[in-house]
Amino acid sequence: MKRSIDNFGTFFSVINILLAFIFLIFPIIVAIIMSFDGRSYLGLFPPPEYSLRWYERFFSDAYYLQGLKTSLIIAIIATVVSTTIGVSAAIGLDRYQGIGKQALESLFLSPLVVPAVVIGFALLMFFAALGIFDGFTRLLGGHLIITFPYTVRTTLAGLVGIRKSLTEAAMNLGATEGQAFWDVTFPLARTGIVAGSVFAFAFSMDDVAVSLFLTSPQTYTLPVAMISMMRTNFDLTIAAAAVILMTFTLCLIIILDWVIGLDKIIGKGVYRS
Amino acid sequence: MTKNRSTWLLLTPGIILFLILLVAPITNILDESLRLFVPGRIGAAKDAPYTLFNYTELIDKAYFFYLYETFRFGITVSLISLVIGFPIAYSIARQKSTLFRKLAIGFLIGMMFLNTLVRVYAMQLTFGPTGYAKFISGIFDISPNGRGYTELIVMLGLLHYTIPISVLTLIGTIQNINPRLTEAAQILGSSRLKSHLNITVPLCVPGILSAFLICLTLCLSAFVVPMVLGKGKVLFISNLIYARFSEIANYPSGSAVAIIMLVVSLSVIFIISSFVSSRWSTK
Repeated sequence: MKRSIDNFGTFFSVINILLAFIFLIFPIIVAIIMSFDGRSYLGLFPPPEYSLRWYERFFSDAYYLQGLKTSLIIAIIATVVSTTIGVSAAIGLDRYQGIGKQALESLFLSPLVVPAVVIGFALLMFFAALGIFDGFTRLLGGHLIITFPYTVRTTLAGLVGIRKSLTEAAMNLGATEGQAFWDVTFPLARTGIVAGSVFAFAFSMDDVAVSLFLTSPQTYTLPVAMISMMRTNFDLTIAAAAVILMTFTLCLIIILDWVIGLDKIIGKGVYRS
Repeated sequence: MTKNRSTWLLLTPGIILFLILLVAPITNILDESLRLFVPGRIGAAKDAPYTLFNYTELIDKAYFFYLYETFRFGITVSLISLVIGFPIAYSIARQKSTLFRKLAIGFLIGMMFLNTLVRVYAMQLTFGPTGYAKFISGIFDISPNGRGYTELIVMLGLLHYTIPISVLTLIGTIQNINPRLTEAAQILGSSRLKSHLNITVPLCVPGILSAFLICLTLCLSAFVVPMVLGKGKVLFISNLIYARFSEIANYPSGSAVAIIMLVVSLSVIFIISSFVSSRWSTK
């Protein structure tokens, strides 16, 4: 009896894993296949013929290209700026020993828990009150505040692992505080910093909820371009755009694995006592 | 002394960024939400009188419905993703083959990182009218054009995001539990299922609660999924804020909804996390 319940349990768990895997991967496969659809309209899946027409359409459409360009520029600037400020804030936090350390830390991480739509709406109103209507400035401001907490968090996580005694040893041996930082702390914290900037770039490229409020007719990001096309248009250029964005994600995952190793993000392997 | 100064120097840019781009805008909408609505301009007039009208207007059945919908979807989706996610996390955490672990974790991280819009569009193609809408709605015996099917698609869209995240969160928790405990129970005659239900799951409760919290906050602030997959039939609070901006341009009212949404999501986080830390802090 016990045995049969267990066997049923194991069977059920294997089915659960398989179904979840199919559920997660199948829509992605459908989107990739549909992006190579040879028909000139959005028809039933699977397509009867294949071609590259939607990719040609994407790369000849100024609307999408403009969005991709803005997305990349904003993501790069936001990543560089928020990594710089975030790393500096994380190091400051790590050294800070006064009262309110915990409060300061949760303050820096708080944009993570404020819903993105609220951030977008609040920034829209704020920039309007200041008289700033330039799409680029507004988008950059929005992307800075949503990427900043990720860089603080991962850098902080990297710094916590570094023992203070290493810096102290370097200073005992005659290094100045600056030298000790650049030669000891910084190289050890590098993985955390790189991971933070990868996260920042990914979330900047991903954002819709904040950007939708802050775009102007001339300056918009690729996801915003895609969502407005999704509502009015029924062609598969969006699928081609989606596959292009997916390759970006894939590159980021590969970089992340190369820099820190994916299993380290979760913690290493089996239980060790 | 100099050390203190340089520490503050390091902290200052972050604090300034934070004050300008988060504190000031939210204070601004808090003020805005208390102003009288004047049609035809972004933001209330500077000297508009203070009023509670924007809030009292929201004490209405129609608006509670948005809040109710958001929570109904959020809680259902979070619970489903925990039930599905826990066994998956367990088998990955206890997996001996390094290659398999690496592939599984890589796959899940990829799924988590997947661009929101790509995800939503892929779901749309797969479960929309040109995909398997007829097939899926046939299984559940509902109309592919009805509200029931739209609700189902919105749930699937949210699950596609929350399942990888809950699995990844739970892997860490399960790894920290000594497998000997479950083995001991099994040696003493407990069945595998029973030993997991009596030992593994209770030990994981703090991790399960924090995975639930993460899923729930993600669902409560979901915007693109209900916007695209909900097709106007399923609307969350976030969509209400956007509608205040894009359709009727009532900014004071939008601010009031935004403030309410902020308070609600922060309270959810506060309540659950203080519950976790009050019961499991002495670890």
